[in-house]
Amino acid sequence: MVRATEGGAPLFQEIPASASGITWVHENAMSPNRYLPETMGPGCAFFDYDNDGWMDIFLVNSGPSDFYTPPKPLRNALYRNNRDGTFTDVTEKAGVVSAGFGMGVAAGDYDNDGFTDLFVTAYGPPALYHNNGDGTFTDVSARAGLGPDVFRGHWTTSAVWFDYDNDGKLDLFVCSFVEYGREHMMMCGDNKLGHHFYCIPRVFKGTPSLLFHNNGDGTFTLASQGTDIEKSLGKGLGVVATDVNNDGRMDLFVANDTVQNFLYMNRGKGPNGKTRWEEIGLAAEVGFSDNGQARSGMGVDAGDIDGDGWQDLFVANVDQEMFSLYRNNHNEDFTDVAPKNQIAGATRLLSGWGLKFFDYDNDGWLDLILANGHPDDMIDQYSQQVRYREPLLLFHNDGGRMRNVSSQGGPTFTRMFPARGLAIGDFNNDGRPDILIGNNGGAPLLLKNNAGAGNRWLGVRLVGVHSNRDAIGARITWSAGGVTRSRLRNAGGSYLSSHDPREILGVGQAEKIDWVEITWPQPSGRKQRFANLPLNRYVTMTEGKETLS
Amino acid sequence: MQWLVTRIVFVAVLCGLTNAANESPEDLLRGAITSQQSGDFDAAIRQYREYLKLQPNDARALSNLGAALVHVGRYEEAIPEYRKAMKLVPDMPAIALNLALAYYKMGQFQPAIEQLVKVHKAMPTSDQTTLLLADCYLRLGRDKDVIALLEPLAKRPTDSMAVDYMLGTALIRDKQPDAGQIYVDRILHNGGSAEALLLMGMTKMMVADFAGARADLEKAVQLNPNLPDVYSYYGSALMKTGDTPHAAEAFRKELETNPNDFNAHMYLGVLFKEDQDYAHALPHFERALELRPGDEAVRYQLATVHMANGNLDQARRELESIVKQSPDFTEAHVTLATVYYKMKRKLDGDRERAIVQRLNAAAQAKQPGVKEVQSGASAIQQ
Repeated sequence: MVRATEGGAPLFQEIPASASGITWVHENAMSPNRYLPETMGPGCAFFDYDNDGWMDIFLVNSGPSDFYTPPKPLRNALYRNNRDGTFTDVTEKAGVVSAGFGMGVAAGDYDNDGFTDLFVTAYGPPALYHNNGDGTFTDVSARAGLGPDVFRGHWTTSAVWFDYDNDGKLDLFVCSFVEYGREHMMMCGDNKLGHHFYCIPRVFKGTPSLLFHNNGDGTFTLASQGTDIEKSLGKGLGVVATDVNNDGRMDLFVANDTVQNFLYMNRGKGPNGKTRWEEIGLAAEVGFSDNGQARSGMGVDAGDIDGDGWQDLFVANVDQEMFSLYRNNHNEDFTDVAPKNQIAGATRLLSGWGLKFFDYDNDGWLDLILANGHPDDMIDQYSQQVRYREPLLLFHNDGGRMRNVSSQGGPTFTRMFPARGLAIGDFNNDGRPDILIGNNGGAPLLLKNNAGAGNRWLGVRLVGVHSNRDAIGARITWSAGGVTRSRLRNAGGSYLSSHDPREILGVGQAEKIDWVEITWPQPSGRKQRFANLPLNRYVTMTEGKETLS
Repeated sequence: MQWLVTRIVFVAVLCGLTNAANESPEDLLRGAITSQQSGDFDAAIRQYREYLKLQPNDARALSNLGAALVHVGRYEEAIPEYRKAMKLVPDMPAIALNLALAYYKMGQFQPAIEQLVKVHKAMPTSDQTTLLLADCYLRLGRDKDVIALLEPLAKRPTDSMAVDYMLGTALIRDKQPDAGQIYVDRILHNGGSAEALLLMGMTKMMVADFAGARADLEKAVQLNPNLPDVYSYYGSALMKTGDTPHAAEAFRKELETNPNDFNAHMYLGVLFKEDQDYAHALPHFERALELRPGDEAVRYQLATVHMANGNLDQARRELESIVKQSPDFTEAHVTLATVYYKMKRKLDGDRERAIVQRLNAAAQAKQPGVKEVQSGASAIQQ
């Protein structure tokens, strides 16, 4: 059952710019030549940059590049949460104005100083913004070893902070899309309308994605050299860090456009002390379609949708390819169960980007939101079945099986969007995860969640001490109403976007939550059980500390 | 083309009866012929069989028996009777034509073609034989053979819609839409017909105008729901425009009137497979393979179903055979690698995976067919 809303409000309600104060609009730089980067952004993020316990918003914009000179300066946007449903633009003060032709964003506290930092990907050099803890950021890319030289030849898209070697420090994986630039900039002939159109990425050469090891001193070292990550030429667009075989090491699932998806298994340290990555996408049956074809993978996510304690995977593709929901078979292979979950049929004519598993009604089961839009802005004029702007899709998890409930989502779910990035976060701290969507060449969409009336929840902010401070890789197990559930704290997921780091544990109608157990990631690995917990509020659980805050 | 075939069967059987009646005065045979002429085929079959016990080498009686069996749909029994007759009189095209028709009715187009080629050689001016042969080629997707066979016929003054239809179809499928359009126009010239709309729909499908094709094919279906292939193409258009439930319905309707339609079986199999209903997908793929023996696309689909059903060894054998025959069939290598991995044959899986990577790299190296942008892009360094 989809839980009703209070007062008959729609499940998700659009908060207009006039109410939120978010007036920033993405500039996609669309030109007659239809340069590919124009149609790929933007990403967005929920994150708490000032540690006030309220989710702020970051929005990525395009900017100057080798094919585009903005007629007026463009900038990203950082909106501070005013704790009353409105936001204030603090971009200039914070010093996160622009990183060139921006694509996406990954938020994470890489230096464990308690303040969340930002890595902004781009067509062109990406940027690492260190959070100074005083409301400002400093671009430390070069100092951190993440300067332009490192990324030459790489068009970076989604990125994720995670601790692959369990040393307690967040490392960085960056998806690299195709070879594109002055020497590889191509024009894909005239379409039926006599105009250039955005090239299908098939024509461009793939590139290896990049993994950086956090040295613990504010610098990073490229760590993918010689590994399967470097050997795998992909066209990476989406990434999620998760543990698909429950071995305590975070693996990576990467969606590639027009080439196979990659599943990099983290095999731990080899004899040379280096982490060994094994790419098993084909063997795991997540690399290709059921017909052995590479598809146009864009957004990805991981989550335990059937409550078996194993991470399932999701990947969105373009129209006619259908999206895939991969059930984890517990032996490093997967079965695509999208057809049996109303997902394949619903996505046949859609192109998916941002997406996320999230428990929108706090019944304890992970639901799913999909943000869609065709990459070709002229598609409406020569196709009657596919549209440039496409609807959002919402799926409710009915005890392990997804059901398309988009028609119950509210008026926003009847509208069409050129959606790209999607972030999940509870911006009003009501315990109901809200949605933020980055629209290509348009205003972002902020959706307030009204679902799950009567269902109870506990919001948990985990703070690692020996393990990484963001507690990426922690497993949260909780018991309520006679049901025990667990959730792995994954990192990344969606497309070009970053999410509220807090976990909301839905308990449905249960009167209380009996206990919550945290298995902190290595190097700690410690288990901590908390009891006598409150409901319907957020708490902070700190590694090794028995009391809540 | 069902109307065409029916007419040929009727002519072929009458010829057989006339000849048999002239040459066999025996009572048994007369009785058989009388029964056949009066439409009592079961009696005729019984009487021919009795007669043939006494006169087993009467080619005309064997042929007539075959014709009677065809009339009651017992094609598999008719074929050996025709074969025996042909052994006795190998140079009689009428028997070969009857044998071809039996194969045709069974949807065994390849052996039908083998007989029709002989008949066509013996009777090159027989338009009916030519059209039937062309129809068999068309059903097997041998579009170039259709074109070679029918183009001389099309140059002659003719009002044959069958020629225009088949030739137009073959040209469109052979990626010669402009040439095919001539025949569409010829059919249209005689008024808007289901045939013309079908061809227009097919043309639009080729250029990925699926919605346009869907509209034409919907009209074609309304005008003549019994037109062979019309529901099959309509189903394809529905499938491409996302309406898979109605696509499946259309394919089923095609199979009601045309149980030997390759595409309907193939796509219905694909739709069932997409729904992971492998039990229903399997017979459609199997039938499609019977219709086009050796078709790699069908064999590949069958292999994927075997794999999904856990019949790994069966899938492996089929896939190994496919990649041996077509070493550049990337999807087959992908699935074969998957099968090997499932069978815990990692080394074999890795070998196939390496082939996949090599093929993909080769395909990538052939990209792109695009020009570099000539524009005044700004000079900002990336």
